[in-house]
Formats: sequence, C-alpha cells, structure tokens
Amino acid sequence: MAGLSFDNFQRNKFLVSKGFGQPMATSTGTTIVGCKFNGGVIIAADTRATAGSIVADKNCEKLHRLSPKIWCAGAGTAADTEMVTQLIASNLELHSLSQRRQPRVITALTLLKQHLFKYQGHLGAYLIVAGNDPTGAHLMSVQAHGSTDIGEYQSLGSGSLAAMAVLETGWKPNMTKEEAMKLCADAIESGIWNDLGSGSNVDLCVMEVGKDAELHRNYLTPNVRSEKLKSYKFDRGTTAVLRSSIHDVLDVEETVITFGNDAMEVDA
Amino acid sequence: MNSTVASEYSSEIHTTPIEHRFNPYSDNGGTVLGIAGKDFAVLAGDTRQVEGYSINSRYEQKIFNVGDDIVMTANGFAADGSALIDRFRNQLKWYKFDHNNKKLSVASSARYIRHLLYSKRFFPYYVSTLIAGLDDEGKGCVYSFDPVGSYEREQCRAGGAAASLIMPFLDNQVNFKNQYQPGSDGTEKKPLRYLELDEVLELVKDAFSSATERHIQVGDGLEIFIVTKEGVRTEYYPLKRD
Amino acid sequence: MSDPSSINGGSALAMVGKDCVAIACDLRLGSQSLGLANNFEKIFKINDKVMMGLTGLASDVTTLHELFRFKNNLYELREERKIEPSTFANLVSSTLYEKRFGPWFTGPLVAGLDKHNKPFICGFDSIGCIDYAKDFVVSGTASDQLYGMCEGLYQPNLEPEDLFETISQSLLNAVDRDTLSGWGAIVYIITKDKVIKKVLRTRQD
Repeated sequence: MAGLSFDNFQRNKFLVSKGFGQPMATSTGTTIVGCKFNGGVIIAADTRATAGSIVADKNCEKLHRLSPKIWCAGAGTAADTEMVTQLIASNLELHSLSQRRQPRVITALTLLKQHLFKYQGHLGAYLIVAGNDPTGAHLMSVQAHGSTDIGEYQSLGSGSLAAMAVLETGWKPNMTKEEAMKLCADAIESGIWNDLGSGSNVDLCVMEVGKDAELHRNYLTPNVRSEKLKSYKFDRGTTAVLRSSIHDVLDVEETVITFGNDAMEVDA
Repeated sequence: MNSTVASEYSSEIHTTPIEHRFNPYSDNGGTVLGIAGKDFAVLAGDTRQVEGYSINSRYEQKIFNVGDDIVMTANGFAADGSALIDRFRNQLKWYKFDHNNKKLSVASSARYIRHLLYSKRFFPYYVSTLIAGLDDEGKGCVYSFDPVGSYEREQCRAGGAAASLIMPFLDNQVNFKNQYQPGSDGTEKKPLRYLELDEVLELVKDAFSSATERHIQVGDGLEIFIVTKEGVRTEYYPLKRD
Repeated sequence: MSDPSSINGGSALAMVGKDCVAIACDLRLGSQSLGLANNFEKIFKINDKVMMGLTGLASDVTTLHELFRFKNNLYELREERKIEPSTFANLVSSTLYEKRFGPWFTGPLVAGLDKHNKPFICGFDSIGCIDYAKDFVVSGTASDQLYGMCEGLYQPNLEPEDLFETISQSLLNAVDRDTLSGWGAIVYIITKDKVIKKVLRTRQD
C-alpha cells in the first residue's frame, strides 16, 4: 500500500510502444527566486500553471511550507513539486520530533536531494529551499537530478533568465528586508512579463531570523482581468432540456442530549 | 541493437536512429478572427509575436489593408504569413496595372489566394488565412482558408493559436448556436439576426480578453480592422501583457 | 490524437454559483472517430453533496470510479460521516500520484458543497496535481474549447437556474467544436437541499 505503485507502468509502456503518447502533466513553467538579506531570507514565485500553451491555473500556490520556518518554491512538474514537498515536510516534522530540535534547512535540503537523486531525475522537481534555523538564515536550491547549490540569490524555472537579469543588476550585499522584498518581487515580475510560462501574481515569503515566517500570498496582483464589456447571462429556458429529475437531500440533524446529574434525579 | 545514441537512461535507448534535419517552419503564435455584419466586416488580431516561451514583439502588425477595401491576415508561421500577403499585394498591383485600375472583388481575391496557397501544395505556407471586405451587394463577408487553399465564405471564423477557444464562443454569440426561445421548450431556435457594429466590437474585445486569460501566446494588444462602405479604419486596444 | 486519454473522447466541466455548484458532462463513448455509445455518463455521485467527473480513457474512468466508490465506502465506515469535498480532492490526488510512473489516463474533477454549504470545485491532471479554482474547471478532449467558452460566458454569483444555462451553453457549444465529444449531455446542479439532474437536447453528429 505504501509508496508508489508501478502497476500501470508495464501497460503504459506497451501503449507507448504501440504509438500512443503520454498525456500532458501540468507543469509550472515558472519563475521562482530567492534572496538573502541582512537578518533573513526571502523567496518569491509567480502563480501561473500551464498545460502546454493553455493556462490551467491562474492563481496557483508555488510556495510550499516544509516546516514553520523553512519554505520552498517549486518549479517543474506541478504534481512532483507538491508531493515531494509534502513528503519531505512530514519527514522533517517526524525528524524534529524525534530529535527534539528545530528542523534545519540543510536537513530539508539533504532529504530532498537524496530523495530526488534516488529517482534519477524522473521526479521533475526544481526547488529553491530557504529558511531560518538555529544556525541562521539559509538559501539553497536543488535540481531534479539531486544536485544542489548555495547562494546569496537564486532563480529557477522557465523565467529564471528574466529573473536573474534583474537579480544580477539589483543585488547588493547586506540589503534591508524592504530592499530584498522589492528585488524579489521585481525579479518575479520580470518573469511574469517576459516569459510566457509565467504570469498572473507574485507570491512572496519573508523568513526573518527570530521571527515567524510571513507568507504574502498575492503580494502583487498586476494582472487583474478588467470587467467584460457585456454580460453573457442567458434568459432562463434558453437551453433545450429533454428531461429533469430532482433528488432531495435530507439533512440529518444530530442533537446530543446530556444527562446531567440534576436531570437524573428522580423523586421517589 | 540498432540504437545509435546512448541515452542517460538505459531503458530509454532509442531503437530508431535519430534524424537531424532542417525544420523550415516555426510557430509564432497569435490569434485572429473575422466577423461579417450586414454592411460591414471586421478582422481582428492580437499584436503579440512569440517564439517558444519568448516574446519577439508586443506590437507586430499582422492584419493588412491590401487595397481595394480588402483586409487580409495570415496567422501561424509569421514569415510565411507576410510572404503570402506580400505576394497577394504585389499581384493585386499588377492586376490593376493590367486591367485599367479595375477594383478586385473579395470573391475574386479569395479565388486568387486559393491558387497562391495551392501552388505550394507540397511545401505549404504554414498559415491560416482570413480575408474580409464587402461583397458585390455591399454585404460584409469573410473568407477563411486552410494552409493549402481550401476556402469558404463564412459569417465568422477564428484562426491561429487560440482558434479552438474563440470559435465555439463565436458560434454561440454570433450564430446563436444551441440557443432556443425561452418558453418554446426547445422547439424554436433563437432567430438569427445581423449584429450591429458596436455589438460585434464588444464581442471581439471580450473574445480576445478571454483568450488572453487562458492562452499564453495571446496578449499585449488587439488591433481591429473595420471595413465599411466608407473604407477601412483601425482600432487598437491594449490586452494583458503577462 | 494517439494519446490514450483521447481514444474514447468525452468532456466535463464544473462551475461555482451562488451557494451552489454545477457539474456537467457529455455522453459520448467512442473508439477514435467511431461512436460506440451515447449513454456513457462521466459524472459520478460520491455522496449527497459531492460529485466527481472522470474523463479520459474509458476503462480507466470505470476502474477509477469503482476505486473511489470503494475508498469512499471505507472512509464512511471508518469515520462514520460523509467525506468533505476538499478531503475527497486530496484522496483523489494521492490516489493518482500513487501511479506517478504509470498514470491513469484520466482528468478528474470534483464539485460539491462542504459542511457549511460553501461551494468547492477542483480539477486534476493525470498525476494528481490539484487545480483549485474559484470559478470553473474543465477536463477532457474539448478542454480548449471549454476554457474559451467558460472564460467568455462565466460570471460569479449566478443563481442555480442561471448557472444551469451558463454551464449548459458552455458545454454544448464546446463539444460541438470537438469531434470526440457530444452525443448528449447531462448537467447536475447541487444546492444545499437538492440535487437537480437535467438531460440536455444536443446535436447528434
């Protein structure tokens, strides 16, 4: 029951050999960045999920919580980033419970890279991992094959070049929190405008040393759709109906009757 | 083993040789649509040109007034599109030289474009072509072509990357498909009528803003060419740029 | 076209209205361009307030329906309560991801009302990535057409009767531009006190 099942693998390989292709998985053709500042670290992401050239989700969440103070941004195959993150988050929790210590960023990174390496790149997860632990603030990234990087500023995903262009121009040592937030948001925006795989809004997560991580969901929303010019509400009865049936839902209400000591007293 | 390339994964070694050859085509995205009205026709298209995940231009004109109050667009592979339009324009010029400046009808233009397209039957122009104008009776008309010259006169047509998103919307809102008279119990179709120009323009703008929301290759700007008996005029509206 | 999820054809979508949700599907089952049946429903009831749509390879649609019925029965026996739509969505997600390296060729949808009768809809890709949406989700061989229709016609806070018209027109016009979908359609409207099922009259080509 536990773990992945390879039951359909054989069948699908057979189908592929017969000339049937694989279906398209939702991918986060994404822009994600991370940047350290004086006293903490920030990660940010756009919110577009695509299936081919169609936008599957206009406001998805690419910032995942690994532990209360360690967050990660994910690019690549959407299901993989989501599931691998959930798995490592739960292992990290168990680990910190058994060790009675706060989880460390390097531990999260090691768990991720060992898991991804085991799958030889078949799990398409590209992550920027960042957070605070007793040893300070950290910013790292891990690729699908299991290789990792450490740096003051990083970007990943299809919009990584657009974002890195902004990071390289704007980054300087010992930035304030506000400067770093602006830099990260600008880098993501660069991906949103210039990379077709990225779009919609900017999500941002600030992890300051000695403070709780704050997630700024939809920190910037530069792509709100303007009102349509016309209402497309139809007159009732426009659609031709052959037959209809109604199923009434009976709401079952439960009331708990407590038999208190007073109520139980029976006069003789 | 007849494998030629060692893959990273032993199970994925290719059993057929990999071909390396020049691919003459690319996809430059974008989308266009044409609607014919009672005494007008519109051709609209977004102004974004893309290649892969990159934007080549946020304003690249792809609808042209080719003369004689005919507007034309060829959407798909941009190089083929402009080559086709240039060829047609040139031929139209020669037609007028040779025939005492006679006006070319939209129907004749359509027939000629078919021959331009079919003459490259085995190395086609990789485009979906639309032309719009007024017919001999002054009614709006739109002609649509497949890449090798099969064509048809229609009331409305969407072409290009987001054609599959826009076309059913047009069926529903222009030709009132699947709509019945309320109270008729689905027996009486909603009567067809010509849409007014301002209704059509609203519809076109909403169709493009919808396509922009869901298709990554559509956006930046919307350019609308309107043909009436007064001539051709254009309107431009910004679209989302993400 | 030769992708297993587009052999049999079929499409589905779900929409949120004012205190209600709607979920609809076509009825076609085919083998490539050959139509086989016009009574293949792709929407399944999980409980009174949760329904799911399953499009894609017909054998996987049937198998997964059985699997989710089984898993939901176990849930109801163990928990002695009805499953919440969001909980069910996570069950679907992990069930699909279990087959990460040999996926089910299907694109499920979940629509329902939670315990506070708040609307919930979501869609999935074939390996279980959840697409939480506030407005509408689509799936199947006419998904492009459905995205175009829904994006054009949808507006928030529709009453059940108006939501029915909007979801029906979205589905009907979308499947008419897809060769692999159509041949009849069914719409369910889920409100807090009743579920309305309507069979639509559609083109038969």
